[in-house]
Amino acid sequence: MSSLSNHPDVRRVKTELADYYEIKHQSGLTLLLAPMEGYHSTYALFGTNFGSADSCFGLEGEAPARVPEGIAHFLEHKMFECKAGDAFARFAGTGASANAYTSFDKTCYLFSCSENVEQSLEILLDFVTEPYFTPETVQKEQGIIGQEIRMYEDDPGWRVFFNLLGALFVNDPVKEDIAGTVESIAQIDADLLYRCYNGFYNLRNMVLAVAGNFETEMVLRLADKILKPAPPFTAVRAAVEEPDRIAKRRVEQKLEVAAPLFQVGYKLPGGDVSANLLHQPEDEILIEVIAGESSPLFRALYDEGLINQTFAGEAFLCRQSAAVIFSGESKDADQVFTRILAETRRLQREGIPPELFERCKKGVYGRYVSLFNNVEPVASILLNCHFSGVELPKLMECLSAITLEQLQARLNTAYSSEKAALSVVLPQKDEA
Amino acid sequence: MSNLLDRRQLGENLWFSSISDPKFKLNRISVNLVVPLREETAAQYAAVPFILRRGFRDCPDFTRLNALLCDLYGASLEADVRKYGGWQILNLSVQGIDDRFALHGEDISGRCADLLCSILLDPKWEGENLNEQDVLLEKQNLIDAIEADINDKRSYALSQGIAKMCAGEPNAVRKYGTVDEAEKITPQSAGQAYREILDTARVEVLFIGCGSPDSARELFARRFAGRCPTKALQPFSKGKAKAEEVREYVERMDVTQAKLVLGFRTGLPETREQQAAFQLMNAILGGSPFSRLFVYVREKQSLCYYCPSRYDKASGIMTVDCGIEEQNKEAAQKGVLEQIKVMQEGGFTDEEFTSAKLSLRGAYLSVGDALSSQEGYYLSQILSGRLSTPEQDLERLEQLTREQVTEAARGVTLDTVYLLTGAEEEKA
Repeated sequence: MSSLSNHPDVRRVKTELADYYEIKHQSGLTLLLAPMEGYHSTYALFGTNFGSADSCFGLEGEAPARVPEGIAHFLEHKMFECKAGDAFARFAGTGASANAYTSFDKTCYLFSCSENVEQSLEILLDFVTEPYFTPETVQKEQGIIGQEIRMYEDDPGWRVFFNLLGALFVNDPVKEDIAGTVESIAQIDADLLYRCYNGFYNLRNMVLAVAGNFETEMVLRLADKILKPAPPFTAVRAAVEEPDRIAKRRVEQKLEVAAPLFQVGYKLPGGDVSANLLHQPEDEILIEVIAGESSPLFRALYDEGLINQTFAGEAFLCRQSAAVIFSGESKDADQVFTRILAETRRLQREGIPPELFERCKKGVYGRYVSLFNNVEPVASILLNCHFSGVELPKLMECLSAITLEQLQARLNTAYSSEKAALSVVLPQKDEA
Repeated sequence: MSNLLDRRQLGENLWFSSISDPKFKLNRISVNLVVPLREETAAQYAAVPFILRRGFRDCPDFTRLNALLCDLYGASLEADVRKYGGWQILNLSVQGIDDRFALHGEDISGRCADLLCSILLDPKWEGENLNEQDVLLEKQNLIDAIEADINDKRSYALSQGIAKMCAGEPNAVRKYGTVDEAEKITPQSAGQAYREILDTARVEVLFIGCGSPDSARELFARRFAGRCPTKALQPFSKGKAKAEEVREYVERMDVTQAKLVLGFRTGLPETREQQAAFQLMNAILGGSPFSRLFVYVREKQSLCYYCPSRYDKASGIMTVDCGIEEQNKEAAQKGVLEQIKVMQEGGFTDEEFTSAKLSLRGAYLSVGDALSSQEGYYLSQILSGRLSTPEQDLERLEQLTREQVTEAARGVTLDTVYLLTGAEEEKA
């Protein structure tokens, strides 16, 4: 029987904020286990490094081929169907609350529970490693996902975001909607689902991250019992040939909204996935410096009634691609766009004031500390760091060590007006 | 076991409740000013927390205030408006990391509590008025927020459905009020609204975090001394127990997907046991991915992506909402009503009964694991006037029988059918 103390591939990582074990299981799966004292609940994430952007790949040395858009998300829905019935029905017997999500670069299955964690974990490991698709169940899912896609078509926040990605990226598949289109999912069949499953639901390409109230030995015992050693991982994603420019400067759509919604994005230089993640704290500080709530620009825009409380900035990351996005509602989005670009150029030219830098860095640091207050974000950040090939302590060190000079260099080299775009969703009534 | 809520009265209509739990890394203080929700005051009152959030006497500058917060390691100072049945809750909260994570030994918690008190009690007066620029900006923001309701079609449809159903009842009033009322806001009316609120609200302060609540409690007692609201909050009347007839409404808009909202009367479960039974009934019907609505209407009929039922204990109504193709409206409605009939006839399985209990059990057990869930749970307990712990709720849940659930379902009657759908000419 396995135990942590005699397992050859266990590493304990201790930081001020979190204490976790990283285990390379013999099946090929990486386990990231963070028991958290005092918490009643447990959150488990079983994820594969496969998302909506992986729409062209080859297996076992064959040439890359395209799969329909939205297939990763479709596969996520279909995994809940098992030969023995529905996985939700099995979780119903444990009291756990189960769910799943698909993003651009990963698909995660999860549950949170306060009791019976072993039973729930067994179900999770079991159903994600047992695919079962038939023509009938695939067809039924096309109806449900069709309605999910319809729902997003009416969602202005979603539309303004994907329209921006479409403006920033020329070829990168991140610009395609995660759920695909009604037309693209109509092409999905059981064989294609198996192709994706066999390619990417390989334990060597997956992680189990658990945080909260559980025994680490129990997780190891279950992994030993359920997981069989995975074959070599052979899936190769087609390289994305993304030019060093944006697709469109401005994109506009009309929908039933009250006030216009906008997103302003800077396309940042693509790097490898680890470098991108390590740059993220810098970009988060820069967002605060350029237009955070304590910045001069935020003040001016707010006082002029050009933005309201919905205004926010975020760093966007997907594998080799990165962007910084400012979003909100405005009666004059073009003016907001112009002002953000002007402020960025001013800070490039005149330099970031040291006290602004110190303050914004503290603000971002505090946000990272906050993540460790709850079980869910702990499991999520461990999983994200692993898929990006960065260890959590490294990420936190990177954040603490950021200097003003380093931040200025990032601002001056990565942020270019030439690679900024504006997406706007306008009310229908303007047209009449 | 969860940590016990320490609830103390600090003055007339002023309460301070706290939970201290060392596992957290943050501290949060939330001030809830509870006032009656009325059509004529909703918008005037709703603007107040946002106006206050702009600054206070000793820190009148918005940017300086935000800089102060950023300097406190990104502490968040939030204004919010919530609704509990016929009451409006004006909320101001501050949340920051615990002092032990400060890089230079700063007193984050003390400064956060102080800031919150000042925001609340020392506004930027200009004579009898609140600061003109702040008022005008936040008035416009409030109008924008009310108008932006239609951006999210699902929540828009849900609140339209409820407003139609509860017309004339306190629960029909939206938490932000109406644009017409918001248009009337002036620096003078805002000053008046502020004074009214501080004179008539019930003030519920909640402290949740890893630090000690003692100094914050003392601070609130000191700052509120001689300023406690003098008028007691009156209870609100709940709506009808039973629907008299089914009312149908259709609203047309340029949307791709139609939204169907069914509003039900619940028989107004009164005792704690009856309310718990209704909650369990709701969980079996449509509260989870293994509930009957999910399994039959979504999975078997393949009609929609979401179809949950919700029970609002405060107002005593239940809703079911789903996004569908317009031509499937009758099928979806029929599907939902069939499942309610099954509940009323006691036709649910033992397995469904047990699973729903387990799922609610899990929710109660995890209340203590997040600041937000503790705040939501305890505030709703406090406002319901019946304080209990998650453990006591659990005990009540365990004792519920199938018969009590069936009984609860028999109180359900369909009151309102509301459909938000595409423009008529586009249907052809």
